[in-house]
Amino acid sequence: MTGRLPARTVLLAALMLSALAPLGLLLVASLGRGWFFPALFPPSVTLESWGDAFRGGRMAVALWTSLGLAVCTGLAGAAVGWPVGRALADLRGWPRHLGAAAAFLPVAVPPVALATGLQISALAVGVAGTPGGVFLSHLIPAAGYAALYFLGVFTLFDRRIEDEARTLGARPRTVLWRVTLPMMRREVGQAFLLGFLVSWAQVATTLVIGGGRVRTLPLEVFAYLQAGQDRYAATGALLLVIPALLMLGAVQFAVERAEATPL
Amino acid sequence: MTAASRRGLLAAFAVSLPVLVGVGYSTLASLGLTGPGAAGEGSARIARVLGEPVVWTGLAWSLWIAAASTALATAAAVVVAVLFRGGARSDRVARLFAVLPLPIPHLAAAVAALLLLGQSGLLARLLTSLDLLTGPGDMPALVYDRPGVGLILTLAWKEFAFLALVAFSVVATRGGRLEEVARTLGARPLAVFRRVTWPLLWRGLLPAVVAVFVFAANTYEATAVLAPSDPLALPLLTLERYTDADLVRRGDAFVLVLLGTAVSLLAVAAHEWTRGRWDRLEP
Repeated sequence: MTGRLPARTVLLAALMLSALAPLGLLLVASLGRGWFFPALFPPSVTLESWGDAFRGGRMAVALWTSLGLAVCTGLAGAAVGWPVGRALADLRGWPRHLGAAAAFLPVAVPPVALATGLQISALAVGVAGTPGGVFLSHLIPAAGYAALYFLGVFTLFDRRIEDEARTLGARPRTVLWRVTLPMMRREVGQAFLLGFLVSWAQVATTLVIGGGRVRTLPLEVFAYLQAGQDRYAATGALLLVIPALLMLGAVQFAVERAEATPL
Repeated sequence: MTAASRRGLLAAFAVSLPVLVGVGYSTLASLGLTGPGAAGEGSARIARVLGEPVVWTGLAWSLWIAAASTALATAAAVVVAVLFRGGARSDRVARLFAVLPLPIPHLAAAVAALLLLGQSGLLARLLTSLDLLTGPGDMPALVYDRPGVGLILTLAWKEFAFLALVAFSVVATRGGRLEEVARTLGARPLAVFRRVTWPLLWRGLLPAVVAVFVFAANTYEATAVLAPSDPLALPLLTLERYTDADLVRRGDAFVLVLLGTAVSLLAVAAHEWTRGRWDRLEP
């Protein structure tokens, strides 16, 4: 035990450093002005790039576009994934394997392949280059993830509670709203988060289906990197991190609060 | 087949329909039957594209990056899950910090890696301040480098969080009692790890490991930021061809799309085959 303690302490310190140092570096880079080699710290700081993000600049527009897409994808992904996952959980034998494999396809196919394969269809339907088209392209993998997630959830779900409610005279809609959904608040919250994160990080599908006309935050970060504007790229990267962490915390908080409330 | 089965299968196929449409279109375009530069070449286009060395070096490079980053992330996740499995405060703190990078997008991780590992990045500045380097040129190339060190480290860091989360869950739900039995029967700590903990962890982690491998082989965001232009990774090569001004070369992208999709599906099939064999061993 005495020999193990230093190893654990060192590893714990390494874990903390590896989790926090990249975020710290992004923060310093987003604030540093004239931070050239070999200076270890920026000689002066500026809030210029943050101002662009919060005063209606390019980055602000991209941030709101990304947030809108991610929230819509999270909600729609959970709404689509729920019935698909539930229907799959009812299957047995080879239909179950086949159905799960079909739901796995949108998750397994590379985003670049998905985007290039779908662009012509998006053009034909008239949604290429529009936020609606980008939303639909984000929804495809998000719905696949949510369907697989709800397949696992409903496989373990005890249906006898629903049967009991029906025996007591509840209609299907009442069972859903008053019994199943309240019991599944955590799972629905997590499925929303899954879809949110899938959309939040998409680049290839946004680039191809959006055709450069739908500017999301990841695309702006790429543009800043290519232009050599590291300060703006670091600010954009941090803006990609902060809402994702906040959304994770908010969903956890909302779920824990809802679970503490008696049904 | 019952009505419920039909409903379930229809629902699953509805989710996968856009992908099937995309793959179907890519297949037709690969055969030159539709899409940009289509000239009804049949399998000649596929043969021509697959005959290009740049395609195979790109694929091999992508697989190397995926294998190395997955191996690193898996090893780290196993070590952390085994060492910090208890209920002590330090264990809980370690588990929290291990999974903290989970929601961080790969692009943000890649930007941080560029600022840290680049020729004039923070690491080079630290080494210069210690008089180990005299200038950015002395810094070994860790980004845009042919071995892909920077990309491997970035992907390993990012995927470690996901694998650690799965490993924590496997150890917490399946490990304890079996290990206790092994210890009661006189097994030493190393034997308990080799004969009980590791097999359990490996089998529990395998689906996640396959998912990470497939993801890393096909990821675009971090690769576009950190990878070299020679060899060009398969996802970058695919998008480069797809945006080429030459329509014939643009059509070639669909062959690469099928190649990337085939790699993903092969990895998943290999995993299912292994799991099927293991399932037969279950009591």
